[in-house]
Amino acid sequence: MNNETVLKIENLKKLFPAERRIFTRTKYFVHAVDDISIEIKRKESLALVGESGCGKTTTGKVLVGLEEPTEGRIIIEQEDVTPLLYENESSAKRYVLENYVERFSKMTDEQLKNLKGIDGIYAERYLKLSKDETKFISELLENRRVRVWQLRKRVQMIFQDPYESLNPRMTIFDIVSEPLNIHEIGNLKEREDKVAQILIDVGLTPPETFMFRFPHELSGGQRQRVAIARALILNPSFVVADEPTSMLDVSIRTGVMKLMMRLADEHNMSYLYITHDLAVARYMSNSIAVMYLGKIVETGPTEEVLQNPLHPYTKALLAAVPIPDPEQRRGEPNIKGSVPKPINPPKRCRFFDRCPYAVEYCEKNDHPNLVEVLPGHKVACYVVAGEAK
Amino acid sequence: MLLSVRDLRMHYKTKMGYVKAVDGINFDLDSGESLGIVGESGCGKTSISMTILRLLPDNAEFKSGSVFFDMGNGPVDLVKLDESQMREYRWRGISMIFQAAMNSLNPVYRVGDQIIEAIQNHFPQVPVDKAREKVAELFELVGLDPSRMDQYPHQYSGGMKQRAVIAMALACDPRVIIADEPTTALDVIVQDRILKEIRKIQKKLNMAMIYISHDIAVIAEVSDKIAVMYAGKFAELADSVTIFKKPMHPYTYGLMHAFPSTVGEKTDLVTIPGEPPNLLNPPKGCRFAPRCPKADELCMNEEPRYIEVEKGHFVACHHPVKSGEVVQFYEQ
Repeated sequence: MNNETVLKIENLKKLFPAERRIFTRTKYFVHAVDDISIEIKRKESLALVGESGCGKTTTGKVLVGLEEPTEGRIIIEQEDVTPLLYENESSAKRYVLENYVERFSKMTDEQLKNLKGIDGIYAERYLKLSKDETKFISELLENRRVRVWQLRKRVQMIFQDPYESLNPRMTIFDIVSEPLNIHEIGNLKEREDKVAQILIDVGLTPPETFMFRFPHELSGGQRQRVAIARALILNPSFVVADEPTSMLDVSIRTGVMKLMMRLADEHNMSYLYITHDLAVARYMSNSIAVMYLGKIVETGPTEEVLQNPLHPYTKALLAAVPIPDPEQRRGEPNIKGSVPKPINPPKRCRFFDRCPYAVEYCEKNDHPNLVEVLPGHKVACYVVAGEAK
Repeated sequence: MLLSVRDLRMHYKTKMGYVKAVDGINFDLDSGESLGIVGESGCGKTSISMTILRLLPDNAEFKSGSVFFDMGNGPVDLVKLDESQMREYRWRGISMIFQAAMNSLNPVYRVGDQIIEAIQNHFPQVPVDKAREKVAELFELVGLDPSRMDQYPHQYSGGMKQRAVIAMALACDPRVIIADEPTTALDVIVQDRILKEIRKIQKKLNMAMIYISHDIAVIAEVSDKIAVMYAGKFAELADSVTIFKKPMHPYTYGLMHAFPSTVGEKTDLVTIPGEPPNLLNPPKGCRFAPRCPKADELCMNEEPRYIEVEKGHFVACHHPVKSGEVVQFYEQ
């Protein structure tokens, strides 16, 4: 049970058109998220770190359905939820057609039976319907609207700015109970009890004194606690936390960080913790993924990656983090230039222009794949992996 | 002493009463020295610099205190000067790098022209070509290509704008430079370059610097002395190593243990319970008392004096933390 995968992202891509054309097809795209794969197990958290514009927030937005994925598959608790993330039915249909039907129709029964994981589950259903493609598609898209609702219940988001993410005209009770309202859970009395309980959980005690106040009467730390309460009231299995502590002062921040960790444990929940702050990531995650220009360049257990960074970008990033100790001197970040725009990036390592170790091989080949260099520690670099000399 | 601030008080007048943003601040600053002021949002860090430069909004009320500034011909109390005399000191004596460089450049003027304007405002006798030379020199100093002088701010990246703002602050060779969170909006790699640049220039030109930030780690990198500010007052002031290794004020102690780091052992982080007080009516006694685990009757009723416990180490606390003592903050 504990090893169960809650979230799996496979080859997710999100492109934004960089120009608007009327008669011809758009040629230039911002590659915000470019072919990333992530896996998060239950109760564990993954920190997605990187500089602004590297695509970390876009990834989070795709997961909660605020942006449509361009390509890729998102699996939440053994269910392919990608068709639910598309706004209109036809895109969802096309997704199922391209990802399952076309592939399955070319396979023999034997091959279909041998498929593993999520493919295996869907292949079984496909066989059960005796390979009837239309039936299969309609079964996968059955009750799509309802299932989107249900998905929203399982995946929640905590936003960065507690001053903007709470409606100033609603009381704390209204804000926290709104998800219960939308999902029509319980009557008024039960909702009140639930809200009171969750407010106690997030440390807003006694709850009666907070329930009927407005956001402007609370401090930043308290507001962020309200935002956390709202995200947790539906008992989601998975929460996207987008820089939830970066707007808070140090003395208050630790409290919110500890609270989030405790709640993850109590509610059997996982976080995708999006942050630019490596020190915070160290305390908030089991594993870490470093993003650069839409690609994951290094991933592994948090402590391992931070103490033994392998990718030149991770090294530079870590060397640039100021240390809260005047007696410790840190190294010079070894990096050139500044972040280029991710519009139609050339077919080579994304980090090539800024990399101090780049060789000819890096320029001639496409962006390197993640290679497991140490147990669990993967790096996307030809030089580190020993492929380029 | 280049700059001596004595018992500085400035309050903002609001409908609800006076917000005591700067409430009795004392410090000295010498040439070549850098003082870091660290504190949480709303504690009055920025208000100090605004009071020193007398760039206050209409609702600000100067209460008391003096700012002695010595340009080499004896200390002058900036507080007593009239507006036209004060102009002489701004930019030439004390200049400022503002927070959010993105907003402190005028988008419709070329970056170089804006700096030339600053120079000619203070030295009207300088011809344009001389001023251009000076700007080119400044651009070199802050690590910008001088050929970018004739570009507009939108053609600059965030880090470059910040460098341009630093160049502008240096335009009239000031003796003191006040840097107010100059790197807050920047990414770490850019921040690292800017911090090093600022520190290098400050040492090279032997300027005094006041660096204001909420980030202890950044302050640790750029300051010789650190002042920890809490609710309109300095809680503690000492050289940076002492502040980090032997903090005496429980608030400083808490902050040092609340700050996560990427290096060293992964220690348990401290949570300081409660919230900073509202400066409309701060607690009667010590302002940190309601959140302090060491607070007693005395702290609640009587305000601690800001005293020099060791040479150069000032603390305002009735029960300072002894060296080696472990302070246990309550969990919330």
